[in-house]
Amino acid sequence: MIIRDKFKIALIPFSALVFGIFALILIIFFANSIQIFEKEGLAIYTTSRWLASEDPSLEFYGVLPAIYGSLYTSGIAILIALPLSVAYSVFVVDYAPRRIKEWLIIATDIMTGLPTIIYGIWGAFFLVPFVKKYLMEPLYENFSFIPLFSYPPSTGHSFLSGGILLGIMVTPFAAAIIREAYRTIPYTYREAVYALGATKYEATRVLIGYIKPAILAGLVLAFGRAIGETVAVSLVIGNTFNISPSLFAPGYTISSLIANQFGNAFIYEHMVSALFAAGLSLSFIGLAVNLLVFRMLRRWEHARS
Amino acid sequence: MNSLEIINLNVYYGNRHVIKGINLKIPQKVVFAIIGPSGSGKSTLLRAINRLIELDEDAKVEGDVRLFKKSIYEMDPREVRRRIGMVFQQPNPFPHMSIYDNVALGPRLNKLVRNKEELDYLVEWALKKAALWDEVKDRLGDLASKLSGGQQQRLCIARALALKPDVLLLDEPTSALDPVSTAKIENLLLELKKSYTVVIVTHRIQQAARIGDYTAFLLDGKLVEVGDTAQIFVNPKDRRTEAYITGRFG
Ligand SMILES: Nc1ncnc2c1ncn2[C@@H]1O[C@H](COP(=O)(O)OP(=O)(O)OP(=O)(O)O)[C@@H](O)[C@H]1O
Ligand SMILES: [Mg+2]
Repeated sequence: MIIRDKFKIALIPFSALVFGIFALILIIFFANSIQIFEKEGLAIYTTSRWLASEDPSLEFYGVLPAIYGSLYTSGIAILIALPLSVAYSVFVVDYAPRRIKEWLIIATDIMTGLPTIIYGIWGAFFLVPFVKKYLMEPLYENFSFIPLFSYPPSTGHSFLSGGILLGIMVTPFAAAIIREAYRTIPYTYREAVYALGATKYEATRVLIGYIKPAILAGLVLAFGRAIGETVAVSLVIGNTFNISPSLFAPGYTISSLIANQFGNAFIYEHMVSALFAAGLSLSFIGLAVNLLVFRMLRRWEHARS
Repeated sequence: MNSLEIINLNVYYGNRHVIKGINLKIPQKVVFAIIGPSGSGKSTLLRAINRLIELDEDAKVEGDVRLFKKSIYEMDPREVRRRIGMVFQQPNPFPHMSIYDNVALGPRLNKLVRNKEELDYLVEWALKKAALWDEVKDRLGDLASKLSGGQQQRLCIARALALKPDVLLLDEPTSALDPVSTAKIENLLLELKKSYTVVIVTHRIQQAARIGDYTAFLLDGKLVEVGDTAQIFVNPKDRRTEAYITGRFG
């Protein structure tokens, strides 16, 4: 008992350190954002003009398009990552022969470790032209009356390209979590489903239901990676201040905005603060996502048929 | 007529011979108890009877099992499992599903019902059969994981009964339960044998004595002795059976 208590006490400083660093990060972001909040108020988040000027009185920063672009591309990424990572997990655990299984696991592990610039260059040189030619152009020609497809695909740099690239980048992260959860489902539940006369497909469906919380956790992680990704997205999204429903329109994201502008931000009076405020919005989004997930988990616990 | 006939059954895991030439006839509407020390092959035998053993790629089965005279190997495995229900050692209702959905799952998968009314009716019927209805009728939407261990095990019985099986296999269904829950389930099984064939594997010799009409003693994958429970306990023919039931080994 005494030893355990000592151990517990020894752990306190470490937990405090983690929490302290987190608090410190938030404080720094808040402190540096105050300047722009005093100047613009919430307009920094609700307007779409980005005006850098040598004359501080003309400066104006509204990052709404970047927030929009971050949510849009990360949303696309999640929509791609969900089916891919679940299908991958089921295939690896239930269907793949032992040899292929190992290779698949190694491949996804490598994918999580690849420097993101690699994805960016691949995206810019291969993915963008590919998506433009085989997805955007046919869809635009035939379905441009649908708002989603209404923007003429000029360069191919777009929300869609950004979203797909992000989807590819974050799938391995979601897949690793979902695969482990699926693999470690207690054998007794597998037996139980089959004992009820389930086919392999039906059993899989029931067992996926069992790991719903892990799927959600994997997607939250993927979303976090996606919304924080900078270099790769900025190479394929077009870096344009733009709010459009169309998948084919170019856009911007918070992370790529900060990465692109930080270098020269110090020339201007208010831009650094604006970028801090932009970064702060990512923490709000992160917080909102976590609250949402928390509520979903709670709902599942009180499930009613 | 016998509900189950096991004919020269052999089971191997890889090259380990686990069930060794077992022959058994299990009559209808009885409680048939299978006893034997740990590792004697009781669970393996049950899994061979409803073809659940085929989930294990290493397992190989020889011989035959007949369900009402028809070989289970000439039937679709899904059909076999629907008609031969199974309850496991650890209560294993699906914890992410409601009480209702746990019972409804089998009928849904096997398309036994045509509409919600029929399903409601079947779920209620199964829960009543499993002596659980009164305890859960007001909370059918609660997650199954909220039930006590004993209730969960009765839920698993209800889940199996909802498929309207001919035979119910139970693999040490009370070994994780307290005496009160155990007594409830034993009484339930005595009730169920009026309409089903109940095959129960048990570690507790007293349990076989209390509820078994017949008892089979398994040792090291072989059937040592089978007969009327009274005869097995009062007047065992084999020395090893006597030694086991008097607690001198195992
Ligand atoms: N999946 C498996 N793979 C390989 N060997 C197995 C497997 N399952 C069981 N065995 C072996 O087969 C033998 C019989 O096991 P089984 O589980 O049928 O025994 P049991 O009588 O049910 O024992 P217990 O009373 O402990 O549950 C044991 O020696 C066990 O080690
Ligand atoms: Mg066993």
